[in-house]
Amino acid sequence: MEGCISITSISIDGSGLTLTQIEHIANKTCTVHLAKHAREKMLASYAWVQQAGQDNKPVYGVNTGFGSLARVSIPPTQSSALSRNLIRSHAAGVGPIADEPTTRVMMLLRANALAKGVSGCRPLLVEHLLHLLNVNILPKIPMQGSCGSSGDLAPLAHLGLMLIGDPEGEAIVDGQTIDAPSALEQAGLPPIILEAKDGLAITNGAQLSTAIATLNIIEGKRLILAAEVAAAMSMEALLGISRAIHPEVHKMRPYLGAKQCAANLRALTHGSSLLDSVPEKLQDAYSIRCTPQILGSVRDMMRFVEQQVSVEWNSATDNPLILLHVHDLTQNDPDNKAFSAGMFHGEPIGMAMDSFKIAIAEMASLSERRLYRITTGNLSQLLPPGLVGKDRPNIGMMVPQTTAAALVSENKALGWPASLDSIPTCEDQEDHIAMSTVASRRARKVLRNAQRVVAIELLSAYEALRFRLYESTSTTLGVGVQTAVQYLEALLNELPQKSTIGEQIEHIAADIHQGHLLQDMPELISSTQHDMHTQKYGVH
Amino acid sequence: MSWDTSPHSPIEIGADTITCEDIWSIAYGAPISIAQERMTEMDDNAQAAAHIPILAAKQHWLTGNPESSAENLAEGFILGHCAGVGEPFAKEIVRAAIAARIKVLSSSISGCRSVVVERLKELLNNDWVPDVPSQGSVGAAGDLAPMAYIARRVCGFDNFQHPDFTPLIPTDKEALSLINGISLSTAIAALAIVRSERVFQAAVWAAGLTMEVVQAQSKCIDSRGLDARNHPEVSEVGTYLRTILDGSKRVLPTNNPDAFSIRAGPSVMGAVWRTIRFARTEVERELNGVSDNPLIFGQDSIETGNFHGATVGMAMDHLKTALTQLATLSERRTFRLTHGKLSNNLPSFLVDGTGLNSGFMLAQYTAAALASEMKGLAHPASVDTIPTVQHHEDHVSMSPIAARMALESLECLADVVAIELLVGAQALDLRFRDDKLAAPSQLQNLHDTIRLSVQFWQDDEVLHPAIRALSDMVRQGIPLP
Repeated sequence: MEGCISITSISIDGSGLTLTQIEHIANKTCTVHLAKHAREKMLASYAWVQQAGQDNKPVYGVNTGFGSLARVSIPPTQSSALSRNLIRSHAAGVGPIADEPTTRVMMLLRANALAKGVSGCRPLLVEHLLHLLNVNILPKIPMQGSCGSSGDLAPLAHLGLMLIGDPEGEAIVDGQTIDAPSALEQAGLPPIILEAKDGLAITNGAQLSTAIATLNIIEGKRLILAAEVAAAMSMEALLGISRAIHPEVHKMRPYLGAKQCAANLRALTHGSSLLDSVPEKLQDAYSIRCTPQILGSVRDMMRFVEQQVSVEWNSATDNPLILLHVHDLTQNDPDNKAFSAGMFHGEPIGMAMDSFKIAIAEMASLSERRLYRITTGNLSQLLPPGLVGKDRPNIGMMVPQTTAAALVSENKALGWPASLDSIPTCEDQEDHIAMSTVASRRARKVLRNAQRVVAIELLSAYEALRFRLYESTSTTLGVGVQTAVQYLEALLNELPQKSTIGEQIEHIAADIHQGHLLQDMPELISSTQHDMHTQKYGVH
Repeated sequence: MSWDTSPHSPIEIGADTITCEDIWSIAYGAPISIAQERMTEMDDNAQAAAHIPILAAKQHWLTGNPESSAENLAEGFILGHCAGVGEPFAKEIVRAAIAARIKVLSSSISGCRSVVVERLKELLNNDWVPDVPSQGSVGAAGDLAPMAYIARRVCGFDNFQHPDFTPLIPTDKEALSLINGISLSTAIAALAIVRSERVFQAAVWAAGLTMEVVQAQSKCIDSRGLDARNHPEVSEVGTYLRTILDGSKRVLPTNNPDAFSIRAGPSVMGAVWRTIRFARTEVERELNGVSDNPLIFGQDSIETGNFHGATVGMAMDHLKTALTQLATLSERRTFRLTHGKLSNNLPSFLVDGTGLNSGFMLAQYTAAALASEMKGLAHPASVDTIPTVQHHEDHVSMSPIAARMALESLECLADVVAIELLVGAQALDLRFRDDKLAAPSQLQNLHDTIRLSVQFWQDDEVLHPAIRALSDMVRQGIPLP
């Protein structure tokens, strides 16, 4: 985990939430509460909404219907029923259920958006959400059926069903599904009787899309480093040429990502006797030589994606916003603090996740080509064809390359951008929608496929390097590569004797997922760092 | 959600062709038997093949390693192919794949002994079905990795224990034959065909229901117009719709042509129907063909490319396109039904007291999100190929990816059609309240069936269980009249 600071509790106020804190909440390694000053700010905006209701000031969703039904006004006596109906009728999710970290991050982000204090809802809502997180009693959230605007309405409405203790709501406690009223009882919470604006405050925002996107970023950053380790190992196994990663080369086309990737490859391969060991070879194939350009672009894209998504972590995303500090004299009623806008729209997350998908798919595609070279006799600088050796008597690593090809191909189909589509909804009032949830979910699939491809490259390169070491006792591996080989050896030894190659791949992929590989090598530049790190290793 | 919960009668695999429905039955639990004359033929040809050192030759050629030890060649070969990753397949898919492989190997030209299909049969009939990871096959030379997990089980290489279980001791050729074909892709495709037909039928019902409630013009299903299109399936859909709407007092030959989602329904759904039929033809040819290599004709061993999944892969990609059209069409009709200005004077979102109630507003959002997701899934898998195995297997089919995406697409589609049925039933009640006209009897029956699981909405209710109930109904099938 970045920073490695141990935290026991965080407080949220809608402004300073970080990736590290989100990761802690996802992993249940700390508790969370609402900051006192945020609570006060929330109360002020709540008071304004109450007053507006009493004064019959028309405010969207407080005393009107929703979506195209904003044209219908609703008497103040019915504003609670309005919120309740919103939650119940909007719980229209279908398909697979969100896993625990996803649900937790979605709830945290929703709470933080409300903690900003511009949503006109009570602190109680946030307090209940955070309590559920702290006792880990979570709603059951179906992940399909959200267009990502006006927010992840259906998934968040399922969260709402739990908060109001609706008998149709469902929760997951210790892996078991129970109804929402029983879950609330276990959590020691009374059901919330919704007030004006509460329904909108719960549902209006793309928090499921953002939760998945955030977890994707955490995993994606780990994967980039693993892919660089794999690339360095393959580069050595294939007796690559170090000039392609020379720092002076990368000053001539100074993309930050490419410079960082080249620096990491230098750090990992520092001291290798395998690089530059074939004097008659002038340059390597693209999958080796152009690794800094391709993985560097992945780094650049990741940095952009993280910047983009990080804005959402500390944003108010519902509608209308209650902006008490704004006194707009150009308006007919300068005292109207309710600003209807489109903050819930999932487009920033959708486009970021579509970009993410492309970057991650390209990374895997590159990895597959390197492992193809390693397993192909006439491309591998005299490694045994298919890496058939003592331990793999039959077909060696040939079949895993096919597995990698299948995963890379699947990623191409999944790469189709979800945010490119829009289907008009709600009587044409909501006539351009984001599809951010689809983008985030599909990006997760691409990511999980890519983890396995990189795992296969690590395994192939590991086998190839063992062969190089066996071939000549004077072989020295690069300092990082050497550590990686030892790490992989220990990792594979954890498996039972007769494990299949599929199990070995999955075991390494799970390790990449958790980000353990070479996490203790301080010379490596992390995946979305904004500058060059101090380098310990320069030119070979 | 399950597509089948009913018991199935035994299936015999013999000389007759097998259908997608046969594979379906076996997938969902039907026991099987294998015709005796098949097994006799198998044993006769296998004897002739016994002297051909197939696996060692392949091994040498693949790896350039002449030292591959002969005694555990088959075991190493099969275990070496267990390189699948990802979530395990649902059990019905693995059962279907075993059934499809039995059909292939029961053709004597595969050169396997009858004991091979006997042992595979025992996996099915005793429910000794292994877990098979769902990813890692490129559909050429066959679904190697997934089929290797089935081979591993039947040969007892995974240490599976049961008092009645006897492992197969495969010859070299049998080790190869167990995995060298696209039986997994074909099996998934067979299930996808049956599912597609079920959802297609429900979609025709839904279209008829929507036509009734929006008081569609009947001219668009006049057989004279449809026959002139010269596509038999378009006419066929028209016939279904006329039967469903027979006796309607609302669908009349007026002079107000409807929007395309209504008027062009037979054209779109006819084209979909045609595509499903085409895909069925491809899949059933494959089910009854020999996807294996090499093939043994007496003393001759013939190397072929019969394991290449292009056939099934392209069929599944076509199918996905068709399914997506069915979804986008249904979603647009749902949009009309929920749109106060497009539904011929039904209340916005099909509920009274709109404003306080949002009614079926979100049902259409869900349909839109699912239809959009299907557009992504429709991206053809078989347009891609990545060279594998030292550039020897240099053009591959990606057929299992196409087939898996088709199944995923069908899960979305079942929900989209369920949503149209849900809002259609609500709309029919509202229409009746207005005009007091009886619905045609076929539609009334459908409506009554829907009302057994979902009630009329006076006020807002929770949508999720309603959608779930009707998508279950769609998955179980609503036969056309």
